[in-house]
Amino acid sequence: MKNLAFASIKELQLSLAKKELSSHELLDFFLKRFEKYDQQLGSALEVFDKESILKNYTAQGILAGIPGIIKDNICQQDRITSCASKILENFKSTYDATAVKWLKQEGALMIGRANCDEFAMGSSTETSAYKKTKNPWDFQRVPGGSSGGSIAAVAAGLVPWSLGSETGGSVRQPAALCGIVGLKPTYGLVSRYGLVAYSSSLDQIGVATRTVYDNALVLSAIAGNDTHDSSTLSQPKKNYTTNLTGSFAKGLKIGVIDNALHAQGMDNEVVVALEESIKTFEKLGATIHHVSLPIMDYGAAVYFILSRAEAASNLARFDGVRYGLRQEADSLAQMYAKTRQEGFGKEVKARIMIGNYVLSVGHADAFYTNARLAQGLMRRDFTAMFKQVDLLLAPTQPAPAFKFGAFDNNKLQMDLQDYFTCPINITGIPALSIPCGFSSSQLPIGVQLIGPHLSEEKIFQVAHAYEQATQWHTMHPAHFLN
Amino acid sequence: MAHITREELLKIARISNLQLDEQEIPVLIKQIEDVLTYAACVQEIVKFGNAEEPLAKNSNVFRPDVVIKTDPETILDRAPERERNYFVVPVILENL
Repeated sequence: MKNLAFASIKELQLSLAKKELSSHELLDFFLKRFEKYDQQLGSALEVFDKESILKNYTAQGILAGIPGIIKDNICQQDRITSCASKILENFKSTYDATAVKWLKQEGALMIGRANCDEFAMGSSTETSAYKKTKNPWDFQRVPGGSSGGSIAAVAAGLVPWSLGSETGGSVRQPAALCGIVGLKPTYGLVSRYGLVAYSSSLDQIGVATRTVYDNALVLSAIAGNDTHDSSTLSQPKKNYTTNLTGSFAKGLKIGVIDNALHAQGMDNEVVVALEESIKTFEKLGATIHHVSLPIMDYGAAVYFILSRAEAASNLARFDGVRYGLRQEADSLAQMYAKTRQEGFGKEVKARIMIGNYVLSVGHADAFYTNARLAQGLMRRDFTAMFKQVDLLLAPTQPAPAFKFGAFDNNKLQMDLQDYFTCPINITGIPALSIPCGFSSSQLPIGVQLIGPHLSEEKIFQVAHAYEQATQWHTMHPAHFLN
Repeated sequence: MAHITREELLKIARISNLQLDEQEIPVLIKQIEDVLTYAACVQEIVKFGNAEEPLAKNSNVFRPDVVIKTDPETILDRAPERERNYFVVPVILENL
Protein backbone atom coordinates (compact mmCIF):
# COMPACT_ATOMS: atom_id res chain seq x y z
CA MET A 1 0.00 0.00 0.00
CA LYS A 2 1.11 3.58 -0.60
CA ASN A 3 1.83 5.90 2.32
CA LEU A 4 -0.51 4.68 5.07
CA ALA A 5 -0.65 8.13 6.66
CA PHE A 6 -2.33 9.65 3.64
CA ALA A 7 -4.39 6.64 2.57
CA SER A 8 -8.10 7.29 2.27
CA ILE A 9 -10.62 5.61 4.55
CA LYS A 10 -11.66 3.54 1.55
CA GLU A 11 -8.07 2.30 1.06
CA LEU A 12 -7.59 1.63 4.78
CA GLN A 13 -10.80 -0.42 4.86
CA LEU A 14 -9.58 -2.47 1.93
CA SER A 15 -6.34 -3.23 3.77
CA LEU A 16 -8.25 -4.19 6.89
CA ALA A 17 -10.56 -6.44 4.86
CA LYS A 18 -7.60 -8.13 3.17
CA LYS A 19 -6.00 -8.54 6.61
CA GLU A 20 -2.88 -6.70 5.47
CA LEU A 21 -3.09 -5.00 8.82
CA SER A 22 -5.29 -5.21 11.91
CA SER A 23 -7.32 -2.42 13.45
CA HIS A 24 -4.92 -2.51 16.44
CA GLU A 25 -1.93 -1.98 14.15
CA LEU A 26 -3.74 0.82 12.37
CA LEU A 27 -4.54 2.55 15.67
CA ASP A 28 -0.92 2.12 16.82
CA PHE A 29 0.25 3.63 13.56
CA PHE A 30 -1.84 6.79 13.98
CA LEU A 31 -1.04 7.10 17.69
CA LYS A 32 2.66 7.04 16.72
CA ARG A 33 2.01 9.74 14.11
CA PHE A 34 0.65 11.98 16.87
CA GLU A 35 3.66 11.19 19.05
CA LYS A 36 6.04 12.01 16.25
CA TYR A 37 4.45 15.15 14.84
CA ASP A 38 1.90 16.71 17.10
CA GLN A 39 4.22 18.42 19.54
CA GLN A 40 5.17 20.62 16.62
CA LEU A 41 1.79 20.78 14.86
CA GLY A 42 -0.38 21.29 17.97
CA SER A 43 -3.57 19.80 16.53
CA ALA A 44 -4.70 17.84 19.60
CA LEU A 45 -5.52 19.00 23.11
CA GLU A 46 -5.42 15.38 24.22
CA VAL A 47 -4.63 12.03 22.62
CA PHE A 48 -6.27 9.19 24.51
CA ASP A 49 -4.56 5.94 25.55
CA LYS A 50 -5.06 2.91 23.34
CA GLU A 51 -6.96 0.87 25.90
CA SER A 52 -9.63 3.50 26.50
CA ILE A 53 -9.99 4.18 22.76
CA LEU A 54 -10.74 0.52 22.17
CA LYS A 55 -13.22 0.22 25.06
CA ASN A 56 -16.46 -1.32 23.73
CA TYR A 57 -14.98 -1.58 20.21
CA THR A 58 -16.82 -4.28 18.24
CA ALA A 59 -15.17 -4.06 14.79
CA GLN A 60 -18.61 -3.66 13.19
CA GLY A 61 -19.92 -0.85 11.02
CA ILE A 62 -19.11 1.38 8.09
CA LEU A 63 -16.13 2.97 9.85
CA ALA A 64 -14.88 -0.11 11.70
CA GLY A 65 -11.38 0.43 13.01
CA ILE A 66 -10.89 3.86 11.41
CA PRO A 67 -9.49 6.45 13.86
CA GLY A 68 -10.56 10.08 13.82
CA ILE A 69 -10.37 13.12 16.07
CA ILE A 70 -13.21 15.19 17.54
CA LYS A 71 -13.27 18.96 17.98
CA ASP A 72 -13.19 19.79 21.66
CA ASN A 73 -16.65 21.38 21.70
CA ILE A 74 -18.32 18.02 20.96
CA CYS A 75 -19.00 15.84 24.00
CA GLN A 76 -17.29 12.47 24.42
CA GLN A 77 -18.47 10.61 27.51
CA ASP A 78 -16.10 10.70 30.50
CA ARG A 79 -13.60 12.73 28.50
CA ILE A 80 -12.82 16.37 29.10
CA THR A 81 -14.73 18.78 26.82
CA SER A 82 -12.95 22.10 27.34
CA CYS A 83 -14.08 24.05 24.24
CA ALA A 84 -10.44 25.22 24.37
CA SER A 85 -11.52 27.48 27.25
CA LYS A 86 -10.17 27.84 30.80
CA ILE A 87 -13.73 27.91 32.10
CA LEU A 88 -14.19 24.23 31.18
CA GLU A 89 -10.59 23.12 31.74
CA ASN A 90 -11.49 20.07 33.84
CA PHE A 91 -15.06 19.51 32.74
CA LYS A 92 -15.83 15.89 31.86
CA SER A 93 -18.82 15.15 29.65
CA THR A 94 -21.53 12.98 31.15
CA TYR A 95 -22.67 11.65 27.79
CA ASP A 96 -21.66 11.18 24.15
CA ALA A 97 -22.88 13.67 21.56
CA THR A 98 -25.26 11.89 19.18
CA ALA A 99 -22.72 12.23 16.35
CA VAL A 100 -20.04 10.61 18.53
CA LYS A 101 -22.43 7.88 19.69
CA TRP A 102 -23.37 7.02 16.12
CA LEU A 103 -19.74 7.05 15.00
CA LYS A 104 -18.90 4.59 17.77
CA GLN A 105 -21.81 2.41 16.68
CA GLU A 106 -20.28 2.38 13.20
CA GLY A 107 -16.98 1.17 14.65
CA ALA A 108 -15.04 4.47 14.41
CA LEU A 109 -12.28 5.03 16.97
CA MET A 110 -12.06 8.42 18.72
CA ILE A 111 -8.37 9.10 19.14
CA GLY A 112 -8.57 12.40 20.99
CA ARG A 113 -9.78 15.97 21.35
CA ALA A 114 -8.84 18.55 18.73
CA ASN A 115 -7.78 22.12 19.46
CA CYS A 116 -10.04 24.94 18.29
CA ASP A 117 -10.79 28.58 18.86
CA GLU A 118 -12.28 29.13 22.31
CA PHE A 119 -15.97 28.14 22.12
CA ALA A 120 -15.46 27.97 18.32
CA MET A 121 -15.13 31.76 18.17
CA GLY A 122 -12.40 32.67 15.72
CA SER A 123 -10.96 32.03 12.27
CA SER A 124 -7.39 31.03 13.09
CA THR A 125 -7.52 28.79 16.20
CA GLU A 126 -5.44 31.50 17.90
CA THR A 127 -8.13 32.18 20.54
CA SER A 128 -7.64 28.71 22.09
CA ALA A 129 -6.69 29.11 25.74
CA TYR A 130 -4.22 26.22 25.44
CA LYS A 131 -2.12 26.18 22.31
CA LYS A 132 -1.58 27.38 18.79
CA THR A 133 -2.18 24.93 15.96
CA LYS A 134 0.08 25.39 12.96
CA ASN A 135 -0.77 25.13 9.31
CA PRO A 136 0.81 21.85 8.13
CA TRP A 137 1.95 23.57 4.91
CA ASP A 138 3.78 26.42 6.63
CA PHE A 139 4.43 26.54 10.36
CA GLN A 140 4.52 30.34 10.33
CA ARG A 141 0.88 30.38 9.34
CA VAL A 142 -2.47 29.60 10.94
CA PRO A 143 -4.55 26.56 9.93
CA GLY A 144 -7.70 28.71 9.91
CA GLY A 145 -10.50 28.18 12.36
CA SER A 146 -12.34 27.66 14.41
CA SER A 147 -11.89 23.89 13.78
CA GLY A 148 -8.14 24.34 13.14
CA GLY A 149 -6.99 21.33 15.17
CA SER A 150 -9.46 18.94 13.50
CA ILE A 151 -8.46 20.13 10.05
CA ALA A 152 -4.68 20.29 10.62
CA ALA A 153 -4.67 16.72 11.97
CA VAL A 154 -6.33 15.41 8.81
CA ALA A 155 -4.21 17.54 6.45
CA ALA A 156 -1.02 16.30 8.16
CA GLY A 157 -2.05 12.65 7.91
CA LEU A 158 -2.40 12.13 11.66
CA VAL A 159 -5.95 10.79 11.14
CA PRO A 160 -8.06 10.21 8.02
CA TRP A 161 -11.17 12.05 9.28
CA SER A 162 -12.31 14.47 11.93
CA LEU A 163 -15.38 16.25 13.19
CA GLY A 164 -15.46 20.01 13.43
CA SER A 165 -18.32 22.41 13.92
CA GLU A 166 -19.63 25.23 11.76
CA THR A 167 -21.37 28.42 12.78
CA GLY A 168 -20.00 30.78 10.13
CA GLY A 169 -17.51 28.66 8.17
CA SER A 170 -15.40 26.98 10.84
CA VAL A 171 -14.92 23.74 8.91
CA ARG A 172 -14.80 25.00 5.32
CA GLN A 173 -12.41 27.92 5.90
CA PRO A 174 -9.68 25.87 7.65
CA ALA A 175 -10.24 23.01 5.17
CA ALA A 176 -9.51 25.48 2.35
CA LEU A 177 -6.48 26.91 4.16
CA CYS A 178 -5.05 23.41 4.73
CA GLY A 179 -6.00 21.84 1.39
CA ILE A 180 -8.61 19.26 2.42
CA VAL A 181 -12.35 18.59 2.04
CA GLY A 182 -14.71 20.24 4.54
CA LEU A 183 -18.49 19.89 4.74
CA LYS A 184 -21.12 22.12 6.31
CA PRO A 185 -24.30 20.01 6.15
CA THR A 186 -27.86 21.34 5.83
CA TYR A 187 -29.03 22.77 9.16
CA GLY A 188 -30.83 19.94 10.93
CA LEU A 189 -29.19 17.09 9.04
CA VAL A 190 -26.79 16.29 11.89
CA SER A 191 -27.87 16.33 15.52
CA ARG A 192 -26.47 19.13 17.69
CA TYR A 193 -27.08 17.09 20.85
CA GLY A 194 -23.77 17.21 22.69
CA LEU A 195 -22.31 20.02 20.57
CA VAL A 196 -21.64 22.89 22.98
CA ALA A 197 -23.90 25.70 21.76
CA TYR A 198 -22.40 28.88 20.34
CA SER A 199 -25.21 30.10 18.08
CA SER A 200 -27.90 27.43 18.14
CA SER A 201 -29.78 28.53 15.02
CA LEU A 202 -26.58 28.40 12.95
CA ASP A 203 -24.42 25.69 14.59
CA GLN A 204 -23.96 22.42 12.74
CA ILE A 205 -21.39 19.64 13.12
CA GLY A 206 -19.24 19.30 10.00
CA VAL A 207 -16.88 16.69 8.55
CA ALA A 208 -13.25 17.03 7.44
CA THR A 209 -11.47 14.44 5.28
CA ARG A 210 -8.91 14.33 2.47
CA THR A 211 -11.29 12.91 -0.14
CA VAL A 212 -14.90 13.52 -1.10
CA TYR A 213 -15.79 9.81 -0.79
CA ASP A 214 -14.48 9.71 2.79
CA ASN A 215 -16.44 12.82 3.65
CA ALA A 216 -19.67 11.27 2.31
CA LEU A 217 -18.92 8.10 4.27
CA VAL A 218 -18.49 9.90 7.61
CA LEU A 219 -21.63 11.95 6.95
CA SER A 220 -23.51 8.68 6.39
CA ALA A 221 -22.65 7.73 9.96
CA ILE A 222 -23.70 10.97 11.65
CA ALA A 223 -26.68 12.26 9.61
CA GLY A 224 -30.27 11.58 10.56
CA ASN A 225 -33.17 12.40 12.81
CA ASP A 226 -32.43 12.44 16.53
CA THR A 227 -35.03 12.61 19.29
CA HIS A 228 -32.53 14.54 21.44
CA ASP A 229 -32.43 17.45 18.97
CA SER A 230 -35.88 18.62 17.88
CA SER A 231 -34.33 20.75 15.13
CA THR A 232 -33.11 17.66 13.26
CA LEU A 233 -34.99 16.97 10.04
CA SER A 234 -36.94 13.78 9.51
CA GLN A 235 -34.38 12.27 7.19
CA PRO A 236 -33.87 8.52 7.06
CA LYS A 237 -30.38 7.07 7.42
CA LYS A 238 -28.73 7.14 4.04
CA ASN A 239 -25.52 6.08 2.31
CA TYR A 240 -24.12 9.30 0.85
CA THR A 241 -21.43 7.49 -1.18
CA THR A 242 -23.71 5.66 -3.62
CA ASN A 243 -23.78 8.34 -6.33
CA LEU A 244 -20.04 8.90 -6.47
CA THR A 245 -19.48 7.61 -9.97
CA GLY A 246 -16.86 10.09 -11.13
CA SER A 247 -19.30 11.89 -13.38
CA PHE A 248 -22.52 13.88 -13.18
CA ALA A 249 -25.47 14.65 -15.45
CA LYS A 250 -24.43 16.59 -18.57
CA GLY A 251 -25.78 20.11 -18.56
CA LEU A 252 -25.76 20.45 -14.79
CA LYS A 253 -26.05 24.18 -14.14
CA ILE A 254 -23.39 25.71 -11.93
CA GLY A 255 -23.89 29.35 -11.00
CA VAL A 256 -20.65 31.21 -10.34
CA ILE A 257 -21.35 33.94 -7.80
CA ASP A 258 -19.55 36.78 -9.55
CA ASN A 259 -19.86 39.34 -6.75
CA ALA A 260 -18.06 36.86 -4.49
CA LEU A 261 -15.38 35.76 -6.95
CA HIS A 262 -14.57 39.37 -7.83
CA ALA A 263 -15.18 40.89 -4.41
CA GLN A 264 -12.94 43.71 -3.31
CA GLY A 265 -9.78 42.45 -1.60
CA MET A 266 -9.78 39.01 -3.26
CA ASP A 267 -6.28 37.59 -3.60
CA ASN A 268 -5.45 37.24 -7.28
CA GLU A 269 -4.00 33.76 -6.94
CA VAL A 270 -7.24 32.57 -5.36
CA VAL A 271 -9.23 34.05 -8.25
CA VAL A 272 -6.96 32.35 -10.81
CA ALA A 273 -7.29 28.96 -9.07
CA LEU A 274 -11.08 29.31 -8.97
CA GLU A 275 -11.26 30.28 -12.63
CA GLU A 276 -9.27 27.13 -13.46
CA SER A 277 -11.68 25.03 -11.40
CA ILE A 278 -14.62 26.54 -13.29
CA LYS A 279 -13.02 25.43 -16.58
CA THR A 280 -12.65 21.91 -15.20
CA PHE A 281 -16.31 21.75 -14.17
CA GLU A 282 -17.19 22.90 -17.68
CA LYS A 283 -15.00 20.16 -19.22
CA LEU A 284 -16.79 17.63 -17.04
CA GLY A 285 -20.10 18.63 -18.64
CA ALA A 286 -21.45 21.43 -16.47
CA THR A 287 -22.86 24.58 -18.00
CA ILE A 288 -21.55 27.68 -16.27
CA HIS A 289 -23.86 30.58 -15.48
CA HIS A 290 -22.53 33.82 -14.08
CA VAL A 291 -24.89 35.05 -11.42
CA SER A 292 -24.97 37.77 -8.83
CA LEU A 293 -26.27 37.57 -5.27
CA PRO A 294 -25.85 41.11 -3.93
CA ILE A 295 -27.48 40.18 -0.63
CA MET A 296 -24.57 37.85 0.09
CA ASP A 297 -22.50 40.96 0.75
CA TYR A 298 -24.59 41.52 3.90
CA GLY A 299 -23.84 38.01 5.16
CA ALA A 300 -20.96 38.92 7.42
CA ALA A 301 -22.91 41.76 9.07
CA VAL A 302 -25.93 39.52 9.63
CA TYR A 303 -23.68 36.81 10.97
CA PHE A 304 -21.90 39.14 13.40
CA ILE A 305 -25.24 40.19 14.88
CA LEU A 306 -27.13 36.87 15.03
CA SER A 307 -24.21 34.76 16.22
CA ARG A 308 -23.15 37.19 18.97
CA ALA A 309 -26.74 37.63 20.12
CA GLU A 310 -27.22 33.89 20.51
CA ALA A 311 -23.77 33.48 22.04
CA ALA A 312 -24.63 36.01 24.74
CA SER A 313 -27.48 33.86 25.98
CA ASN A 314 -25.88 30.47 25.31
CA LEU A 315 -22.73 31.34 27.25
CA ALA A 316 -24.70 32.73 30.20
CA ARG A 317 -24.77 29.16 31.54
CA PHE A 318 -21.07 29.20 32.40
CA ASP A 319 -21.29 30.73 35.85
CA GLY A 320 -19.25 28.56 38.20
CA VAL A 321 -22.26 26.98 39.93
CA ARG A 322 -22.71 23.47 38.55
CA TYR A 323 -19.49 22.66 36.71
CA GLY A 324 -16.28 24.13 35.39
CA LEU A 325 -14.16 26.87 36.89
CA ARG A 326 -15.27 28.77 40.01
CA GLN A 327 -13.57 31.85 41.41
CA GLU A 328 -14.29 32.28 45.11
CA ALA A 329 -16.09 35.49 46.10
CA ASP A 330 -18.17 36.89 48.95
CA SER A 331 -21.44 36.98 47.05
CA LEU A 332 -23.09 35.06 44.24
CA ALA A 333 -23.07 38.05 41.86
CA GLN A 334 -19.36 38.58 42.41
CA MET A 335 -18.68 34.88 41.99
CA TYR A 336 -20.40 34.91 38.57
CA ALA A 337 -18.52 37.99 37.39
CA LYS A 338 -15.10 36.89 38.68
CA THR A 339 -15.49 33.34 37.34
CA ARG A 340 -16.44 34.56 33.88
CA GLN A 341 -13.76 37.23 33.88
CA GLU A 342 -11.12 34.65 34.76
CA GLY A 343 -12.50 31.80 32.65
CA PHE A 344 -13.29 33.47 29.33
CA GLY A 345 -10.72 34.78 26.86
CA LYS A 346 -10.81 38.19 25.18
CA GLU A 347 -12.62 37.14 22.00
CA VAL A 348 -15.37 35.32 23.88
CA LYS A 349 -15.93 38.32 26.18
CA ALA A 350 -16.11 40.68 23.21
CA ARG A 351 -18.65 38.48 21.44
CA ILE A 352 -20.85 38.11 24.53
CA MET A 353 -20.82 41.88 24.99
CA ILE A 354 -21.61 42.59 21.33
CA GLY A 355 -24.50 40.12 21.63
CA ASN A 356 -25.93 41.85 24.66
CA TYR A 357 -25.49 45.23 22.98
CA VAL A 358 -27.38 44.30 19.77
CA LEU A 359 -30.20 42.83 21.87
CA SER A 360 -30.45 45.75 24.29
CA VAL A 361 -33.27 48.28 24.41
CA GLY A 362 -32.58 51.07 21.95
CA HIS A 363 -30.30 48.98 19.71
CA ALA A 364 -32.27 45.79 19.04
CA ASP A 365 -34.34 47.34 16.23
CA ALA A 366 -31.36 48.77 14.37
CA PHE A 367 -29.28 45.60 14.66
CA TYR A 368 -31.06 42.40 15.64
CA THR A 369 -34.42 43.01 13.96
CA ASN A 370 -32.76 44.12 10.72
CA ALA A 371 -30.42 41.13 10.78
CA ARG A 372 -33.37 38.75 11.11
CA LEU A 373 -35.07 40.51 8.22
CA ALA A 374 -31.90 40.23 6.15
CA GLN A 375 -31.73 36.52 7.01
CA GLY A 376 -35.23 36.04 5.58
CA LEU A 377 -34.36 37.98 2.44
CA MET A 378 -31.15 36.02 2.02
CA ARG A 379 -33.08 32.74 2.20
CA ARG A 380 -35.55 34.13 -0.36
CA ASP A 381 -32.78 35.12 -2.79
CA PHE A 382 -30.85 31.85 -2.47
CA THR A 383 -34.06 29.84 -2.96
CA ALA A 384 -34.87 31.86 -6.09
CA MET A 385 -31.33 31.32 -7.39
CA PHE A 386 -31.68 27.55 -7.04
CA LYS A 387 -34.63 27.72 -9.47
CA GLN A 388 -32.15 28.88 -12.12
CA VAL A 389 -29.09 26.76 -11.30
CA ASP A 390 -28.41 23.39 -9.64
CA LEU A 391 -25.40 24.41 -7.58
CA LEU A 392 -23.54 27.62 -6.79
CA LEU A 393 -19.78 28.08 -6.79
CA ALA A 394 -17.90 30.63 -4.69
CA PRO A 395 -14.52 31.10 -3.05
CA THR A 396 -14.17 29.63 0.45
CA GLN A 397 -11.45 32.04 1.52
CA PRO A 398 -10.43 35.54 0.34
CA ALA A 399 -6.71 34.69 0.49
CA PRO A 400 -4.33 31.83 1.38
CA ALA A 401 -3.45 31.12 5.05
CA PHE A 402 -2.17 34.17 6.94
CA LYS A 403 0.62 34.43 9.51
CA PHE A 404 0.12 34.15 13.26
CA GLY A 405 -0.79 37.51 14.73
CA ALA A 406 -1.60 39.03 11.32
CA PHE A 407 -4.90 40.45 12.58
CA ASP A 408 -3.98 41.13 16.21
CA ASN A 409 -4.57 44.83 15.70
CA ASN A 410 -7.53 44.50 13.39
CA LYS A 411 -10.02 41.99 14.71
CA LEU A 412 -12.62 43.07 12.18
CA GLN A 413 -10.41 41.83 9.31
CA MET A 414 -10.11 38.51 11.12
CA ASP A 415 -13.89 38.34 11.50
CA LEU A 416 -14.27 39.01 7.77
CA GLN A 417 -12.59 35.66 7.04
CA ASP A 418 -16.18 34.36 7.23
CA TYR A 419 -17.35 36.62 4.40
CA PHE A 420 -17.98 33.87 1.81
CA THR A 421 -18.88 31.07 4.18
CA CYS A 422 -21.34 32.55 6.68
CA PRO A 423 -24.21 33.25 4.22
CA ILE A 424 -24.49 29.45 3.95
CA ASN A 425 -24.99 29.09 7.71
CA ILE A 426 -27.46 31.98 7.75
CA THR A 427 -29.57 30.35 5.04
CA GLY A 428 -29.21 26.83 6.49
CA ILE A 429 -28.10 25.26 3.20
CA PRO A 430 -25.18 22.83 2.65
CA ALA A 431 -21.77 23.60 1.15
CA LEU A 432 -18.57 21.66 0.60
CA SER A 433 -15.11 23.16 0.28
CA ILE A 434 -12.69 21.18 -1.86
CA PRO A 435 -9.05 21.89 -2.73
CA CYS A 436 -8.59 23.56 -6.13
CA GLY A 437 -4.99 24.71 -6.27
CA PHE A 438 -2.01 26.31 -4.59
CA SER A 439 -0.57 29.79 -4.33
CA SER A 440 2.94 30.50 -5.64
CA SER A 441 4.19 29.97 -2.08
CA GLN A 442 2.63 26.49 -1.93
CA LEU A 443 -0.37 27.39 0.22
CA PRO A 444 -3.65 25.57 -0.50
CA ILE A 445 -6.69 27.21 -2.05
CA GLY A 446 -10.28 25.95 -1.79
CA VAL A 447 -13.50 26.37 -3.72
CA GLN A 448 -16.95 25.79 -2.30
CA LEU A 449 -19.91 24.16 -3.96
CA ILE A 450 -23.21 25.30 -2.49
CA GLY A 451 -26.57 23.60 -2.98
CA PRO A 452 -30.20 23.93 -1.87
CA HIS A 453 -31.45 22.29 1.33
CA LEU A 454 -30.56 18.58 1.55
CA SER A 455 -28.60 18.51 -1.71
CA GLU A 456 -25.56 16.87 -0.09
CA GLU A 457 -25.70 13.90 -2.47
CA LYS A 458 -25.55 16.12 -5.53
CA ILE A 459 -22.79 18.29 -4.08
CA PHE A 460 -20.72 15.19 -3.26
CA GLN A 461 -21.31 13.74 -6.73
CA VAL A 462 -20.13 16.88 -8.53
CA ALA A 463 -17.22 17.45 -6.14
CA HIS A 464 -16.14 13.82 -6.49
CA ALA A 465 -16.12 14.08 -10.29
CA TYR A 466 -13.95 17.20 -10.01
CA GLU A 467 -11.62 15.43 -7.58
CA GLN A 468 -11.20 12.48 -9.96
CA ALA A 469 -10.26 14.91 -12.74
CA THR A 470 -7.67 16.79 -10.66
CA GLN A 471 -4.62 16.00 -8.54
CA TRP A 472 -5.04 18.42 -5.62
CA HIS A 473 -6.22 15.76 -3.16
CA THR A 474 -3.04 13.74 -3.78
CA MET A 475 -0.75 16.56 -2.65
CA HIS A 476 0.33 16.54 0.98
CA PRO A 477 2.59 18.74 3.12
CA ALA A 478 6.20 17.52 2.69
CA HIS A 479 7.08 17.68 6.39
CA PHE A 480 4.58 14.92 7.18
CA LEU A 481 5.29 12.49 4.38
CA ASN A 482 7.52 10.07 6.33
CA MET B 1 -19.71 55.12 13.02
CA ALA B 2 -20.80 53.41 16.21
CA HIS B 3 -19.60 55.11 19.36
CA ILE B 4 -19.47 53.33 22.71
CA THR B 5 -18.75 55.29 25.87
CA ARG B 6 -16.92 53.85 28.84
CA GLU B 7 -20.18 53.93 30.82
CA GLU B 8 -22.02 52.02 28.09
CA LEU B 9 -19.29 49.41 27.98
CA LEU B 10 -19.40 48.92 31.74
CA LYS B 11 -23.17 48.63 31.58
CA ILE B 12 -22.97 45.86 28.94
CA ALA B 13 -20.26 44.17 31.00
CA ARG B 14 -22.60 44.21 33.99
CA ILE B 15 -25.46 42.72 31.93
CA SER B 16 -22.98 40.10 30.67
CA ASN B 17 -21.84 39.22 34.21
CA LEU B 18 -18.26 40.19 33.42
CA GLN B 19 -15.96 42.06 35.73
CA LEU B 20 -13.47 43.74 33.38
CA ASP B 21 -9.87 44.72 34.10
CA GLU B 22 -9.05 48.38 33.55
CA GLN B 23 -6.65 47.69 30.66
CA GLU B 24 -9.24 45.62 28.77
CA ILE B 25 -11.70 48.51 28.54
CA PRO B 26 -10.18 50.61 25.70
CA VAL B 27 -9.37 47.47 23.66
CA LEU B 28 -12.92 46.17 23.98
CA ILE B 29 -14.40 49.57 23.13
CA LYS B 30 -12.43 49.65 19.88
CA GLN B 31 -13.21 46.03 18.96
CA ILE B 32 -16.93 46.41 19.64
CA GLU B 33 -17.12 49.77 17.84
CA ASP B 34 -15.43 48.28 14.76
CA VAL B 35 -17.85 45.36 14.56
CA LEU B 36 -20.92 47.53 15.18
CA THR B 37 -19.83 50.12 12.62
CA TYR B 38 -19.48 47.37 10.06
CA ALA B 39 -22.68 45.55 11.07
CA ALA B 40 -24.74 48.75 10.90
CA CYS B 41 -25.04 48.19 7.13
CA VAL B 42 -27.96 45.82 7.87
CA GLN B 43 -30.02 48.98 8.28
CA GLU B 44 -29.93 49.32 4.47
CA ILE B 45 -31.56 45.93 4.09
CA VAL B 46 -35.06 47.27 3.47
CA LYS B 47 -34.00 48.08 -0.09
CA PHE B 48 -33.96 44.33 -0.81
CA GLY B 49 -37.63 43.75 -0.11
CA ASN B 50 -40.54 44.10 2.18
CA ALA B 51 -40.46 43.50 5.89
CA GLU B 52 -43.11 40.80 5.71
CA GLU B 53 -40.78 38.23 4.14
CA PRO B 54 -41.32 35.03 6.11
CA LEU B 55 -38.42 33.24 7.77
CA ALA B 56 -38.13 29.45 7.62
CA LYS B 57 -41.43 27.66 7.93
CA ASN B 58 -40.72 25.95 11.20
CA SER B 59 -43.23 23.64 12.76
CA ASN B 60 -43.36 22.52 16.34
CA VAL B 61 -41.89 19.15 17.23
CA PHE B 62 -43.50 17.02 19.89
CA ARG B 63 -42.39 13.91 21.71
CA PRO B 64 -43.90 11.91 24.56
CA ASP B 65 -43.11 13.32 27.99
CA VAL B 66 -41.36 10.27 29.39
CA VAL B 67 -39.33 10.26 32.58
CA ILE B 68 -35.81 9.00 31.98
CA LYS B 69 -33.99 7.79 35.05
CA THR B 70 -30.68 9.55 35.59
CA ASP B 71 -28.21 9.35 38.42
CA PRO B 72 -27.82 12.77 40.06
CA GLU B 73 -24.30 11.75 41.10
CA THR B 74 -22.95 12.12 37.56
CA ILE B 75 -24.12 15.74 37.54
CA LEU B 76 -23.26 16.62 41.15
CA ASP B 77 -19.83 15.09 40.72
CA ARG B 78 -18.91 17.99 38.46
CA ALA B 79 -19.92 20.70 40.93
CA PRO B 80 -17.18 23.00 42.24
CA GLU B 81 -18.82 22.69 45.66
CA ARG B 82 -21.70 20.50 46.83
CA GLU B 83 -23.47 19.37 49.93
CA ARG B 84 -25.60 16.23 49.72
CA ASN B 85 -27.78 16.75 46.63
CA TYR B 86 -27.28 20.51 46.45
CA PHE B 87 -24.91 22.87 44.67
CA VAL B 88 -23.31 25.19 47.21
CA VAL B 89 -23.03 28.88 46.24
CA PRO B 90 -21.92 32.02 48.11
CA VAL B 91 -24.46 34.35 49.76
CA ILE B 92 -27.19 35.32 47.34
CA LEU B 93 -28.57 38.39 49.12
CA GLU B 94 -25.95 41.02 49.83
CA ASN B 95 -25.88 43.68 52.58
CA LEU B 96 -28.25 41.93 54.94
